[in-house]
Amino acid sequence: MQPREKTHSHSHPVMTLKEKEKYIENFKFPFCDDSAKYEKVAKIGQGTFGEVFKAKEKANSKKLVAMKKVLMDNEKEGFPITALREIRILQRLKHENVVNLIEICHKRASQQNKCLSTFYLIFEFCEHDLAGLLSNINVKFNLGEIKKVMQQLLNGLYYIHSNKILHRDMKAANVLITKNGVLKLADFGLARAFSANKNGQPNRFTNRVVTLWYRPPELLLGERNYGPPVDLWGAGCIMAEMWTRSPIMQGNTEQQQLTLISQLCGSITPAVWPGVENLELYKQMELPQQQKRKVKDRLKPYMKDAYACDLLDKLLVLDPSKRADADTALNHDFFWTDPMPCDLGKMLAQHSQSMFEFLAPPRRSRTHHTMANQRPTTSAMQDSGYQDRVF
Amino acid sequence: MPCWYYDKKELRNTPSALDNIEYDTEMRYRKEGARFIIDTGSKMDLGYNTTATGVVYFHRFYMFHSFRQFPRYVTACCCLFLAGKVEETPKKCKDIIKTARSLLSDAKFATFGEDPKEEVMTLERILLQTIKFDLQVEHPYSYLIRYAKCLKGDKAKLQKMVQMAWTFVNDSLCTTLALQWEPEIIAVALMYLAGKLSQFEVIDWVGRVNKHLRWWDMFVEDVTMDLLEDICHQVLDLYSQPTPTTAPDSPPLLPRPAQTTQPSSSKTANGQEKEKPEVPEPNPPSVPAVSIPDVPTYPYPPSFTTTAPHASAYPPAYTNPPVVPPTHIAAPPPGPPPPHMAGPPPGVPFTPYVAPPHYPPVVATGPYYAPTPPSQPHRPYYPPPS
Repeated sequence: MQPREKTHSHSHPVMTLKEKEKYIENFKFPFCDDSAKYEKVAKIGQGTFGEVFKAKEKANSKKLVAMKKVLMDNEKEGFPITALREIRILQRLKHENVVNLIEICHKRASQQNKCLSTFYLIFEFCEHDLAGLLSNINVKFNLGEIKKVMQQLLNGLYYIHSNKILHRDMKAANVLITKNGVLKLADFGLARAFSANKNGQPNRFTNRVVTLWYRPPELLLGERNYGPPVDLWGAGCIMAEMWTRSPIMQGNTEQQQLTLISQLCGSITPAVWPGVENLELYKQMELPQQQKRKVKDRLKPYMKDAYACDLLDKLLVLDPSKRADADTALNHDFFWTDPMPCDLGKMLAQHSQSMFEFLAPPRRSRTHHTMANQRPTTSAMQDSGYQDRVF
Repeated sequence: MPCWYYDKKELRNTPSALDNIEYDTEMRYRKEGARFIIDTGSKMDLGYNTTATGVVYFHRFYMFHSFRQFPRYVTACCCLFLAGKVEETPKKCKDIIKTARSLLSDAKFATFGEDPKEEVMTLERILLQTIKFDLQVEHPYSYLIRYAKCLKGDKAKLQKMVQMAWTFVNDSLCTTLALQWEPEIIAVALMYLAGKLSQFEVIDWVGRVNKHLRWWDMFVEDVTMDLLEDICHQVLDLYSQPTPTTAPDSPPLLPRPAQTTQPSSSKTANGQEKEKPEVPEPNPPSVPAVSIPDVPTYPYPPSFTTTAPHASAYPPAYTNPPVVPPTHIAAPPPGPPPPHMAGPPPGVPFTPYVAPPHYPPVVATGPYYAPTPPSQPHRPYYPPPS
């Protein structure tokens, strides 16, 4: 007993954990506001690392924000690295077409949350996301409006890529649109910085990124040294979706996704994509042969516009090195011919309801195409929280 | 974002000072904490950027909290833990603690309490709030290399100068310079110092313009000689500080913060590290002292001898442009991925993720949003408008 006693007196920390929590509670952090300054209005989504709420500032109820909760419950390694990445990246990115991170707040420790303080990322509020808008048949985009959406999306990508950031999770649900028609790329939970491999060393990023339906062929084939073209593939998928209103390649498995890609974009062969044979999974995956490229043929009935078909054809290119980059895409005639890109504000003004994928009824159910406010089931919430995480 | 630069008066008026810790003592704590982060970092093969980021967090933390409230080695571990994640070189908390355990005396490690991991995790939340999630930190290293590329002169001498400056930058982490000046200015000052000591005189440089009196006028504005000398002295002072033989120990620790008003009583009660001298000071000069006008005698410090960064960052003859080290943001270090980035061994916290696809896999068919049935030949996704 005695030696133990002795070590105990030795090992007495300056503050016990409880005292520490109390210290935080009473310490007024000059830079980190209390989340109580905002009042939650509704849950609007499920991000990579936590729930997202619509909220208003108590002091100024006109100011709406989105609060993204950082889930710490199951973190054995403290504050999640994915959240740290998103914060660091968003602090660096300030652009009209990138969601704006206003601040990070903390919720004081209390009995309720078992003395664990929680953190929230506070974003400016955007009324809609693209998946939500597309799932509502009452929302109709004309060609000029579609051009505006794509132009803003590519502008955002151009900006983040010039800042050496890969989004890595392009999909309609991560494209936000304000009621004034300004598009914002959101959810940088999977984003990371990249550098041109100037040391001659290839990058070794994880290829377990991007929601399956928007995942480009190089990732599906195990490429780890990838770059901005992964986001442009997603941009192409989203572009087609502007007309089809539903994701164009909905594979259930990586194999199936590759099959769907081959059926749309033609067989994946070293002839059209030199070097593909060296990718890790090239031999393991079953790649349909003798498939013709049908991007234009298949999408023409929806898109009609020849420039649109041509741009899409340049985005959904199998070989990432030949895929159009954001700059090339922005210079495409699609954006510079009549009808010119036109403001979305007017069209959106006809809809007073927020449209988020999270709040929308299942996209393919024909009985629920009016905007319903009902909450989706728990399982749907879990499903929409899907992400491969990154290490 | 908050301003992370302070003047000398503010540095004498810190929470620790208000908590009756003497200035010299606080500087020693800062030095020891920084040195410990550097040692732990190099033992764990963390790069210089991660280490330096951790040290900067450490210095910033104690601009808001007192050393009496938060024992320095716990804070140091926490800063390194967070810096590892921020710089994309994550280390598991328990491994950092394990390394800390191996570097610290029992008494010092006792400040980690009964549950060291929980201690560090709890502190992480305080740390994040204290530094306002301002995670991105720049260091003098990248500037050092950028500037060196522009200088003309004897290659071997230049390389020697740059290596010496690199060591000074390493050691500058043990001062509060990162709380006083931007990394660009520290880089210039310590290159100036290294230039003097290695007798490398910069006569010409790439991009020289008539109005530029000194090479650094190209990069920084309004830097006076007084300022440069001041920065140099702060680093050189590190080497002239006497090794504390009568180790005056850790913060006058108290069992609980409430009693902070009676500091002297607790030292023995706490029994913290009165046994041994602190982290050993740099050994006596191993290189003959060079006497140079204007700057104090320079005993080449054998401190922080983990020479890894500059050795590898520089091609031997310095003929090729030096490899620019990855900048603070994310880019993975060159070479094969460090062990921690490879697939996690079984049972480690960073587990791969098994998750269902985003959209429910069951696809209902309907005239409006019918997707392609997966196993069938492609069909229209949506009936083309007629």
